[in-house]
Amino acid sequence: MTAATGMSERRRYWLSLAALAVVLPLAIVVNSWDSLSEWRRSEFRTPIAVERGTTQAYAGAQWQLTGLTRLPGATPETTLIVAEFDAAVDDPALLQAGPCAVVLTDDKGRRWLPVFLPGRTVRQGRPAAADKPRCYGLARAEKGKTITMAETFTVPEGATGLALSITIGGARPAYLVFR
Amino acid sequence: MSAVLKGLGGLALAAAVLYGMQRTTPGYGEITAPRPVAGKLGHRLEGRAFAIDIAKVQLARTVATKGAARDSNFTTSGVWVLVEGTAEARTESLTLLSAEWLGANGVRYAMSQRLSSLPGMLPGQRLEPGLPMPVLMAFEIPEGQVAGGTLLIARSAWAPLAEQARIEMAGAKPVDIRPCLVLARSQGRVPWTVSAE
Repeated sequence: MTAATGMSERRRYWLSLAALAVVLPLAIVVNSWDSLSEWRRSEFRTPIAVERGTTQAYAGAQWQLTGLTRLPGATPETTLIVAEFDAAVDDPALLQAGPCAVVLTDDKGRRWLPVFLPGRTVRQGRPAAADKPRCYGLARAEKGKTITMAETFTVPEGATGLALSITIGGARPAYLVFR
Repeated sequence: MSAVLKGLGGLALAAAVLYGMQRTTPGYGEITAPRPVAGKLGHRLEGRAFAIDIAKVQLARTVATKGAARDSNFTTSGVWVLVEGTAEARTESLTLLSAEWLGANGVRYAMSQRLSSLPGMLPGQRLEPGLPMPVLMAFEIPEGQVAGGTLLIARSAWAPLAEQARIEMAGAKPVDIRPCLVLARSQGRVPWTVSAE
């Protein structure tokens, strides 16, 4: 073995070892790329702020918040928030491209999910909203039709800075924020 | 000679390292095990997703329920454990579907399904951020598992890497087993009352 071949062999050995440090993380990233992009897409990342009384195009429909009513809750420290909103359908396929999710947030970053059954208080205090379907009403979307929906939330009396977020699976990571 | 020894030594070292790695590889269950958050009876336990405060544990041979429609008597071949407390979601609305009694010998007991229709039962309480809710749990366990028990509470029975509250039930002792406890519906903030008969 000559000194020259010894050198090149040694260099190749260290190069290969150094390449591992790059190739291994790369292989992990390539392998999990689909899951990573899926995870990024499922996040609420791009808020579209909507002013009171205005409509906003989103996920193949024109959205509008028509009412945010406070009703007394079951105990003195709770409040029911009834959110009513409309979607004028332009493209039913886009609108039904994923599940609809509605969340009420406050200025402390707390998140309330809608209650399953609105109950008697809503039926008495806001009868018009009690008969509206929840977000699943979008399943019956047809072009040109306007769908009215309502969701109810139980929040503490002192919650401030409430905002309603609406997202459609197919349009994520963009989501609507009504203040 | 020294080259042969070196080779043998390297082989033995590699074998030892491989054996060690094989013996210490964690199983799938261990990798995805819940993250425990420890707490004590009577103290509020603050997790990331939920907070829970177990206030009281009562033991009985039988549980009598007084309902709106009819009264029932529930006997058991073990011991009834009634656990009362308060739970609250921290950041997002949730329901705590799983509560287990971990006995001193490592056996876990799920909640009794026989009283699951009563108001205030933990899996039936929707927890909202900022609104502490009274919660009730009922277990049927052998008498020998009362002392040294731990309460395990999580969002679901099997959730990888999810938070699990572990509350030491130091207050539960077999000497405190009552013959009968009455569980009645109530109209107040706490939708039940527990009383000894």
